[in-house]
Amino acid sequence: MAKGAFAGPLEQVDSCCYRIPKSYRPGMRVDGLIFANAKLMEAIRNDQAPDQVANVATLPGIQGASLAMPDIHWGYGFCIGGVCATDPAEGGVISPGGVGYDINCGVRLVKTNLFLRDVQAHVRELIKGLFHTVPAGVGKSGKFRFNDAETRKLMGQGPQFVLDRGLGQAADLDHTEALGRIDGADPDEVSSHAVKRGSEQCGTLGSGNHFLEVQVVDAILDADVAKAFGLELNQVCVMIHSGSRGLGYQVCDDALAAFRNAPAKYGIDLPDRQLACAPVDSPEGKKYIGAMRAAANYGFTNRQLLMHQAREVFADLFGGTWQDLGMDLLYDVAHNIAKLETHVVDGKTKQVWVHRKGATRAFPAGHPEVPEAFRAVGQPVIIPGDMGRASWVLVGAPGSMERSFGTTCHGAGRAMSRTAAVKDAAGRRIDKELEGKGVIAMATSRLGLAEEQPRAYKNVDDVVDVVHEAGLSRKVARMRPIGVIKG
Amino acid sequence: MHELFEHTADLGLRATAPDLDTLFAEMAACLFTAVLEDETVVKPSVEVEVVLPPDGREYLLFDWLNALLRHFDSGRLLFGRFQVAVGERGLAGRAWGEPFDAARHRLTHEVKAITYHELKVEPTGDGWLAEVIVDI
Repeated sequence: MAKGAFAGPLEQVDSCCYRIPKSYRPGMRVDGLIFANAKLMEAIRNDQAPDQVANVATLPGIQGASLAMPDIHWGYGFCIGGVCATDPAEGGVISPGGVGYDINCGVRLVKTNLFLRDVQAHVRELIKGLFHTVPAGVGKSGKFRFNDAETRKLMGQGPQFVLDRGLGQAADLDHTEALGRIDGADPDEVSSHAVKRGSEQCGTLGSGNHFLEVQVVDAILDADVAKAFGLELNQVCVMIHSGSRGLGYQVCDDALAAFRNAPAKYGIDLPDRQLACAPVDSPEGKKYIGAMRAAANYGFTNRQLLMHQAREVFADLFGGTWQDLGMDLLYDVAHNIAKLETHVVDGKTKQVWVHRKGATRAFPAGHPEVPEAFRAVGQPVIIPGDMGRASWVLVGAPGSMERSFGTTCHGAGRAMSRTAAVKDAAGRRIDKELEGKGVIAMATSRLGLAEEQPRAYKNVDDVVDVVHEAGLSRKVARMRPIGVIKG
Repeated sequence: MHELFEHTADLGLRATAPDLDTLFAEMAACLFTAVLEDETVVKPSVEVEVVLPPDGREYLLFDWLNALLRHFDSGRLLFGRFQVAVGERGLAGRAWGEPFDAARHRLTHEVKAITYHELKVEPTGDGWLAEVIVDI
């Protein structure tokens, strides 16, 4: 890791939770709580991330505790894997750094009625088709172009905007967080520059850790829930990880510029400038919330268009239509977002702003925001791992409402920095190694593959063990990659 | 002199120089080493100007790098040569480069943004040091 180990206190609460007491540092309003077991905590201690958990605990209006999921690692401002809820009635703030640059970065899982035996002989052809069709890579433009007015309309409507053009089906919306359209989006608060960045990028994957994977259901851990989700052993699925592209980055960047003087204006003492924030009800706060929600709707639409392109590739290769292939969306969930939600804090029901930066909503059975189709079992949670080992489908559990503002982890979490991963990969062909493990990988950049190689990440199984044991979400199915495309 | 340094999920840019003007130019060069596999192939065929009002040194560095990143995001311009004057009147900078050409330029990282996290511009015994974390 790049920086020294965390030297502060980490008190064990139980087998999967550690506390940084608020006495650790002046200014902490609440404790920090990190969900991890002893094995993961060894690595977490060697990172600066616990200090970032303590920094977030200083934000005005923070409720409960400054939380971190087991995939925690050092971010900028907030750690990755951080969760923070603020109450506007207690001077609570909204923080663009608590959402991140890639607003509504998230994941969706698309089912098929194909099984491994149907696809095995065609994986290379399938991945080639996906790689040539789905735009990926740095700043890549796509085939969908929207002018300024169309992009703004898209941000107001979310995926409905492209469904009206025949690029999906109505059920896609039912199976998207917030039905793919967060109310209160204000596209007029999105700068022209942001709109310009987004006008040619909707339906593109991007680079970094974003990917499109073809996976098979490798193990079923909860047969009843898997049945409700429509998942069977050896079934082929497509997992898509991307966000709001340049448009979202620019919305965050514009907000950070607008918030530059907000801490002084509102008397907020920040330990890190990247935690820039403003009261939820301030002019700066309201503008950011409107723009952030608009960018989030763009993110849902981006993944909708990525899914559409994947559906077309499958239909071309396997014949028939994508509907014939049963390519229904299981669920789409955001993991970089802030949302106004109802939670019980110290016995009182409150409306709080839940910031999830590298953390996933995981509402349990019966929650009104869980789609009707899954309300009896809970919200599907999609957890991408690394491209060599596994990803997971979980289901939201009651413990998330009790312990983590309805939240669970978002992925494996990095174990190596990008530079360390590249050094580690020197002289190796990551694509060949993956092929040896039965995964066909295509990427626009060999460096990207080196940075994203499997051992650059923690083992996602370890991360999922913790959130399962902590009761934040439960294991449903383990997914194994057989092909991946990356930017 | 400039280099990339480790950050768990992202990348750090670091430069040292005998004076602030050179430091800001070095940091700009460092930004494009993060974006490009080989920044030395960028031809200085296009010139852009960046003028910033007075502000703290760190904010000036942030805004200078952000302005160059914006030219790349919206105009697909890559830069390889820089000239900067930093003083009480703010920043006056020029950058020379060319539009992205897929045949000659290999892009390596999508720098989503410059961040404020651990942003520093500080004097050393014999010059200046700057560090910035960029979001990948």
